[in-house]
Amino acid sequence: MSAAVEVMKAATVSFPSQAWFQQLADQMNANRARQEQLGYVDCVAQFTVLDGGPGGAPLAYRVTFEEFSAIAVDEVPTRELGVADFALEGDYATWKEMIENIVDGHGRPDLEHSLNRLSHMGTPMKLVSTDPVQADCYFRFNQSLQEFVNACARFTTVFGR
Amino acid sequence: MNEPIRVENLQPLDQPYLMDEAQLADYEASYRNDYHAWAQVLGENVERIRRGSYSLHWLNTDGGNWGKRAKPSSRGLTYTDINRVRGYGDIPQRADWFNFAPRGSIREPYRDRMPVVTDYVVTNRDELWADNVITLYEEAKARQWNATKDIPWHELEALPEDLEKATCQLCTFLTEVEFVAGDFPAKWLYRTPQDFLEVKSFLATQLMDEARHQEVFRKRAIAGGGLLHASPGFEWALKAILDAPSHTMGTFLLNLLGEGLVLSVFRSGEMIAKTQVDKEIFRRCLQDEARHVSYGVLELKNYLATHPQREQGIEEMHRFADVGEQVILTAFTEAALIEPVAVLLGGGLKHIDKGMEGLAHMWRMFIDEYLQRCASAGFDRRARCTIPLDLPWGVAK
Repeated sequence: MSAAVEVMKAATVSFPSQAWFQQLADQMNANRARQEQLGYVDCVAQFTVLDGGPGGAPLAYRVTFEEFSAIAVDEVPTRELGVADFALEGDYATWKEMIENIVDGHGRPDLEHSLNRLSHMGTPMKLVSTDPVQADCYFRFNQSLQEFVNACARFTTVFGR
Repeated sequence: MNEPIRVENLQPLDQPYLMDEAQLADYEASYRNDYHAWAQVLGENVERIRRGSYSLHWLNTDGGNWGKRAKPSSRGLTYTDINRVRGYGDIPQRADWFNFAPRGSIREPYRDRMPVVTDYVVTNRDELWADNVITLYEEAKARQWNATKDIPWHELEALPEDLEKATCQLCTFLTEVEFVAGDFPAKWLYRTPQDFLEVKSFLATQLMDEARHQEVFRKRAIAGGGLLHASPGFEWALKAILDAPSHTMGTFLLNLLGEGLVLSVFRSGEMIAKTQVDKEIFRRCLQDEARHVSYGVLELKNYLATHPQREQGIEEMHRFADVGEQVILTAFTEAALIEPVAVLLGGGLKHIDKGMEGLAHMWRMFIDEYLQRCASAGFDRRARCTIPLDLPWGVAK
């Protein structure tokens, strides 16, 4: 059950964009009390929109989580993992459907749209990692990552870059 | 007419007398006749107190590490922070203190007068160390949750009978396996000397995690209809874990293979959950399970990397895995596990065949992840894996 969260001033942000993931990070950082309930998050997660860029090229955003905060959000020019522990990859339509579902559920996805539900079978989202221990970070912090994306219900998303 | 029965008049049922007279006699004899050191210490203490004399020997810091103060980091004061202080972070390669004297304390002058706990048999650090154990311990403490209050139980919805029974059967299986996932670390926690306190601390969190998992699945089943069937296949797999001849082997079987598979079951459980309550339960549990798996992988990696005869160490692990995989397979082929998962995957008893197709896909994923974890630990099991890479499920004609 979620603790009461502090609702930041409503914003309108386009997806996919660095600003959109930064907005999620800002929401997380503004609600430290909830993060302290959930526990530490120490990983570098990459969120990739496989066809989100110009000409259907991939767009990737790397979020660095440390302790109870998201301390950095970067757009990376490639879907290569780099320093990320893992990447969660999906096409634009899947991301859009998931975000709209979370918004419709007022911050909670329905049974068919949780991160694990979408990624467990490798489709429509896929967990990518080069090392199983790093991949396990996705599972170790799954509740926090779910609530990280659930925060999209607290601002307005417009779709398209 | 009989008198009404009142609560205060109820008599307890007859209970067998549980005290083992011989064990008590042995205990008395040991402490009265065999052990003399404690009586000598007691005598000296009583004599000093009678004299009205203070010892104050504990103010002497010779031979200790007094005065080097640990400083907290951003998270507070962690084991890593205090281990940076000279004299406290030296984890011995081989433990030779078989009592409770804390690592880094002034203990050497008292060695000869201290008891020896003969159950402390895991004396080689590389039998249990993992480079991530301190991180995982801190993470485990920070990510504890409460099965009574953190699950939205009031939202639990009644499911159609086939789905409810499938959910409750899956929960019965998970309740059964979580007991051993607590008993195994408990068994080795007790056998590990105090100088390996970081590992003991992590094992204590694993015990708490498993107690909570057992609790949450038991509650889910009983809130949804009830516990269903226990299974012999589960039991033999669990016994094989408990009977493992060494901590590393048992950890391989429990944390890397068994919990790796259970982690997959939890992820599948989250995916196929029919209520938000079940989704929340599985998501919370899979986080805990992933910590245990991470410890298992890095413990095996450290064990093999530091083994004085690496090839021999690997071969011994293969021999153990040849048996262990097969016994674990008995659980993961039980009808009481795969059938309810298939029913939930398919969306009902009528669609169990469709569910089995999904399970076949998951099976390949499970086994591939297991083999990746082995390879990451430096233990290439691909050529020798005795678990079939495909679900051994025939198509009915």
